[in-house]
Order: sequence, then structure tokens, then C-alpha cells
Amino acid sequence: MADLITLRVTRYRPENDTEPTTQDYEIPLRKEWAVLDGLNHIKDHLDGTLSYRWSCRMGICGSCGMTVNGEPRLTCATFLEDCAPGPIRVEPLRNFPVIRDLVVEIGDFMRKLPQVKPWVIREEEASIDSEYLQTPAELDQYKQFSMCINCMLCYSACPVYALDKDFLGPAAIALAQRYNLDSRDQGSAERMDVLSAAEGIWSCTFVGECTTACPKGVDPAGAIQRYKFTAAMESLKAFLLPRGTR
Amino acid sequence: MTEIERQQYDVVVIGAGGAGLRAAIEARLQGKKVAIISKSLFGKAHTVMAEGGAAAAMGNVNSNDNWMVHFRDTMRGGKFLNNWRMAELHAKEAPDRVWELEAWGALFDRTKDGKISQRNFGGHEYPRLAHVGDRTGLELIRTTQQKIVALQQEDHRDHGDYEARIKVWAETTVTRLLKNGEQICGAFAYVRETGKFVVFEAPAVILATGGIGKTFKVTSNSWEYTGDGHALAMLAGGTLLNMEFVQFHPTGMVWPPSVKGLLVTESVRGDRGVLKNSDGKRFMFDYIPDVFKDKYATTEEEGDRWYDDPDHNLRPPELLPRDEVARAINSEVKAGRGTPHGGVYLTVVDRMPGGAAEIVKRLPSMHHQFKELADVDITKEPMEVGPTCHYVMGGVEVDADTAAAIVPGLFAVGECSGGMHGSNRLGGNSLTDLLVFGRRAGLGACEYIESLGADLPSVPDAEVEAAAAEALAPLEREGGENPYTVHHELQQMMNDLVGIIRKEEELALALEALEKLRERVSNVSVAPVAASGGRGYHPGWHLALDLRNMLLVSECIARAALERQESRGGHTRDDYPAMSAEWRKVNLICRLSGDGGVSLKHQPMEPMRADLIELFENDELKKYLTADELPEETK
Repeated sequence: MADLITLRVTRYRPENDTEPTTQDYEIPLRKEWAVLDGLNHIKDHLDGTLSYRWSCRMGICGSCGMTVNGEPRLTCATFLEDCAPGPIRVEPLRNFPVIRDLVVEIGDFMRKLPQVKPWVIREEEASIDSEYLQTPAELDQYKQFSMCINCMLCYSACPVYALDKDFLGPAAIALAQRYNLDSRDQGSAERMDVLSAAEGIWSCTFVGECTTACPKGVDPAGAIQRYKFTAAMESLKAFLLPRGTR
Repeated sequence: MTEIERQQYDVVVIGAGGAGLRAAIEARLQGKKVAIISKSLFGKAHTVMAEGGAAAAMGNVNSNDNWMVHFRDTMRGGKFLNNWRMAELHAKEAPDRVWELEAWGALFDRTKDGKISQRNFGGHEYPRLAHVGDRTGLELIRTTQQKIVALQQEDHRDHGDYEARIKVWAETTVTRLLKNGEQICGAFAYVRETGKFVVFEAPAVILATGGIGKTFKVTSNSWEYTGDGHALAMLAGGTLLNMEFVQFHPTGMVWPPSVKGLLVTESVRGDRGVLKNSDGKRFMFDYIPDVFKDKYATTEEEGDRWYDDPDHNLRPPELLPRDEVARAINSEVKAGRGTPHGGVYLTVVDRMPGGAAEIVKRLPSMHHQFKELADVDITKEPMEVGPTCHYVMGGVEVDADTAAAIVPGLFAVGECSGGMHGSNRLGGNSLTDLLVFGRRAGLGACEYIESLGADLPSVPDAEVEAAAAEALAPLEREGGENPYTVHHELQQMMNDLVGIIRKEEELALALEALEKLRERVSNVSVAPVAASGGRGYHPGWHLALDLRNMLLVSECIARAALERQESRGGHTRDDYPAMSAEWRKVNLICRLSGDGGVSLKHQPMEPMRADLIELFENDELKKYLTADELPEETK
């Protein structure tokens, strides 16, 4: 008989429930199982109505983020054994409205993304029968910020976003920096207004929870700090220099 | 009847992976109003799992490369069963599509002088895969996703509405295509969040739904890959081409069980990784088939020299096409030379000049994946790998130039279409396949709509009613079987009887089993997730509906596999181990039969255009073609 462990899963069915409840499921405690394997076991064998998102099982799609024992985690990369002896609390990601059970509404993020203009902005369009040149060193400037998988763990971890939903948030700002620091891009001035606004970088109190939560090492907190310096320099320049030389 | 929302579009694209997004962008650029329907969230499509890169003969790393070399490699990889026109268009247009993606902002690893870097891959004569680390698919999706968002900003500026001309219907699943007479007139779908139905009225539908991996137990594919586009096309009167060809990627993780089947990218072998059996032998040298003799190194020394001096040495046989490597691994394990968990060893330990640091730099995701999921440090220990169901070469029969299926108004692109990859796909060819034919499908759909003029087909009520009744059936049935049980049995059966090595008796058994499963699928039932028939986010209900699709494609695969009495590419018959030039001339076409099953017919392969035939040496052609087909002077 294999060892068992309890998953204490948050259930919420908007048609029936006014408040979320929890439900305990006993599942096999296997050395190689991640929390996601446990949820799939529940869905396939114990309760086919449990709703949650997942896809790739390999930490690249960013669908299976949930709150595990209070921490925002990708459930495909969080092992049951590391959470033993249980019960393991599995809740939806914090700071987002819950649709059902463990599924959250991330429309707010999807609406914020376009504000930072996450595409290469050029004064003139390139012709497609060629490529821009970019040295490996130039690539290294922004590569780290391109690793984001939109898993929302950083928003879930962010204490500022918890209080102020207007805050642009870690992933969106890191994405802006991904383009600002891309040698092919000429659009950093266009992104400045939204980044420097009250809901942009200055809301961040540099708690750094986003960087701790990030499963891909993007370091959004670093991106924000770096941009604060850029923005400060720009406003200093605006103050000190005559217009033409800026 | 249940309340049903109606939406009008010019083009409906089903699937939001690389093919779907590229098709949607094209249709939008042509001025059409487009819906993108996605089973998962926007930006999470299966394409994000593609690791290796996008094959395009740009010649950035080796200037000898050009479209003709790429075309030859693709035809060889597919064992000459490819739709040669598709292979030609793909080889010619892939560089433009990669440059276009780069101009839209995609990040690529670079050469010292700042060009897009290209890496070696199985079956490609030169370094050809544009890539970023081992997460190229993610970058492709992000770039096309953000291109769409950028287009939506333009639409907002011009029309006051972000979704005026391109709208993404995330977490929405199509269960039926709708027809008016012979023509496509729309699609029927449910929204996952609410379970509510939507009818999309549109004269043109582009299928870009990807593959069928979830019909097999061991697969690198995720839950979305249930053969939806394949089945939707058939149910609408379309045909499927050469469904027996299923690619088992040679290197999937075999341990631990929870990640069994997850992909280990071919880049590991492109970057000096070697395969060894439990005796420590690099066994691939024993498995170079006749058609590839003289193209691969016969000693380890030469193979190893090739990485640094490819112009004067032959490549190591670890880089043979995927079907060859998968069969070799299968044979080694069967012969008792496998690893403790039933695979073989794949190792990069002490293989890179820069040591452990270079391994982590070149294969960051692999290093992470094995560390996190298997507690294996690939800089110090070998990986255990074995074949996993990865890709289906067979798919909707389409016109090469326009991606049009035989049903007017229906188009198919990417993995759910057939022909491009013949009997076996080369790594790296799928990402550029998505881009090349995604664009062409978008154009094809627009041209088709233009040809209709004002004469657009309406959606007949009876079609909608039938689709709604079908979708509700599992909820209304009582006391039927659990869909998960039926699904597990289907997967196990396909793995056991229609897997990597096939034989007549087993395939016949598979067809019998499918007959019984068909009855059970039509009898599954699920309870509502909430009071009053609640079907919002109901995973059991979704699976119940997906089962119909998986069953149909399984039957096509099994029937075609039984029919084709030869071994070629992704189809290996134990009882017919040789490749047959006669069978190369045959395409196997599946369509729906009157009783809801599958009927199959032979269709002759169109002979290759003379100028393309001339790209090959006659000695090579003799390995594939019958005497009648050879150019005059060779006979």
C-alpha cells in the first residue's frame, strides 16, 4: 500500500456557492509526482468536476499557476514530497477574481499588456528580405526579460498589486524593458509615459516578491529598479538641458 | 432550445498556435474580419513547447545552404512521400517568413557578426535552424501574439474597437463545422468558462488545431491534442491523407512516470549529445540504413570531427532522421541493452569544449527540466530517453498553394494538414511549416471569399440544432460510462497495438477494439458540475466531446496502418520491414463512411515535376522510385 497525502483543494462553483469552500482528497504520495499530477489523479479517478488550467507539464506554457501552501507556484514544478506531510493546501492564484475552483480571470493582465507596446517600434519599417543585425552582447542586454511565460505568479505575489489593481505590475514592466533594451527598438520614448505614470514603476515599493516567485528567472524587480534609474535620468535631463539636446 | 449566441466573421481560424496566428494575421492584413478560436488561453498553445528551432535555408552559418538543399533534405526525411509542391514552397519561402518574424521583434540567438544563428539538426545537411536557446516555439507565439495585439491597436484607432477586425475567443472549443449544402458556412462552439454555445457564421474556416497525441498513452503532447481539426474536417466531408504516419520522437523522458513522454529536444544531439546502450556502446553506428549510407560517419572519430569541420567529415548517425533513431532505440531496448527504466542513455557529459558551463548555456531548458523533474544533473549524468508519440504527418488533404481542403470554404494548416512532411517530418520543419502555410491559408481563405462575391452561405437552423443536441448528449445521458475510463483504455490500446512497431494481427485487433470503443464513446455520460445543468468549466464534459475526435483519428491511423504493407518513415511494419517503391506511389485517403466509421481508398501520388527531380542524383532516386518513374537517361 502506497503512502497517501491529502490535497486540500479550494472549490468554488458560482452557481451553487456564495463563498469558496475546501474539499480534501486523499491521493497517493509518489516521489515523482508534482502537485499537478495529484490534481490530474483527482480529476481522472476521484472527481471529474474539478476545474483548473494546465497544459505542457514542462514549465513553459505558464497555465498551471496556483497557490500551494500559501506560495504562488507552477503546480507542474512543485513536488508533493516537498510539501509533505500535508495536507497540502491548493488554492487559486491570489489577486485575481476566481471563475471556478482553481481557475482565475486574468483579463486585467491581458488588457495591461498592450499599454507597454510590447513589440519592436521602428521609425521606418524593415524590409523583410533582410534581417536586423544584433550582436550576442546586444542580445544579452534584454534576453533575460524575454523569458516570461505569462504565468501570473508575480502578480499573485505582488503586495502592491494586491492593494492597487491599477498598478501595471511586474510582468508588464519587465516586458516593456525587454523591448526598451532591444537594440532593434526605437520606441522607449513612446513607452515612457505609461511606465513613468503613477501606476507604473513608481508604485513599486521594491519588495522583490515578484522576482522570488518567478519560475523563469526573469527578475521583474530588477527590471523595475533599472527603469526607475532611467526614468530619473530622463526627468533630470528634461529639467537641466535645453530641449534640442535631449 | 438552448439560447445560442451568433457572431459573424469573414474568416474563422480554429487554433491559436503558430499556424493559426499567422493565418489570422494574414487574413486581417488582407482586410478581413477574423475570429481566432482557441481551446486554451491566448499564448498558451502547443507551439510554445517546440524547442529546437525553425528550419530555413538562410545560409547564415554555412553559405552553401539554399532552398534546393533544404528541399532535398525534406524529401529524403519524408522518404519521398511528401507532397513535393508543399516541400518546394516551404523550402523557398521559409527564409522570408523567419526574417519577417525577426522584423516583428522575435529574438534569435546570433552569430558573432550579428546574424540570426542557425543550428544543426537531424536530417538537415547544413546548420539551418534559427533558434533562441531551446524555447523557439515560445518566442514564435509571443511574437505573433504581440503582432496581433499591435494590429488590434490600429483597429482601435481606426474603428474605435480593439476587436473590430480580429478577436481572440480564448478557451472556446469548436465541436462541429457547419455547412450549407456543399459549402462551409460556419462553426459551432462552446465557451469553456460558461459552457454556453456560440455559432460563428463565416464563409471560410481555417483549421489549425495541431495534432492527435492524446490518442496515445506515451506522448509529448498536451491535453489539447485530441485530433479536433482532423475529425472536424472528416465530419464536414473532408478527407485525411496518409494517417498511418505518426512520428515517435526518439528521445522522450522515460522516467519518472509522471513526465514519461515529455520531450528531450533533438538539439541535445545537434549539440554533441550521443546515444549509448547499457553496454556503453554508441549503437547508432549499427543502424545506418542503406538509403543513408555514404551520408553518415562510420566511426566515432569522424562523427566527432564533424561538429568542428562539417565540410570535410560526415555527420554522426545520432543525427539520422527521427524515425531511424526511434526504431534503433526500440531495437536496443528489445535486445536487452536498455536502461533500468526501459530507455537508452543520451549524454552530453564531457562532450562540450566549454564543459558544464557550456551545457547549461546551450541547453538551458533541458538542464532545468531534468534537474527539476527528474533530479538528474545533465552536466554530470546521462539522461534516460525513449520514443514518445510526438507528431502526426498525416492530416487533412489540402491544395499545396492555398491550403484549401476539398470542401469549399475549408482550409487546413500546420500539423492538422497532411502532405508536407511525407512519411516523416524533420525537426525544425514544423515551425516554418506553420509560418509558410499559415500565411498561404490566410491568403487562400481571402481569395475564396472574394470569389463568392455577395453570395455568402447562410447557416441552416437544422445544422445548429443537430450540433447543439450532439454537444448536450453526454450531459443528458444517465448512467453511462466515465469518459476518463474510456480515454485511458483507448490510449493504452493505441500504444500497445498501433504504436511504433506494427503488425497485421495487432492492427486487426486494434480495429476490433475500436469498434467496441465506438459504442462506449457514444454512451459516456457526465454529471453537471453545478445545479441546473451547469456546464461551465466542466472538464469531464469536454473530454466526453473530445473522445469522438480521438476515436475517429485512431480509426484512420489503424486502418491506414493495416493497409500499407511496407515500412516507411513513421510507419514500421514488422511483417513488411522493407520500403517499397510501388507503395511510394500510393496515398491512402480516409473519409467518413455512411455508418459513421471510416472508409479508405488508394489515390495515386502525382509524379514529381521534372525540374525538381533533377535536383537529385539518379543513384539516390533509384532507392525510392520504381524503374518507370526514373528520368529517361537513368533507365
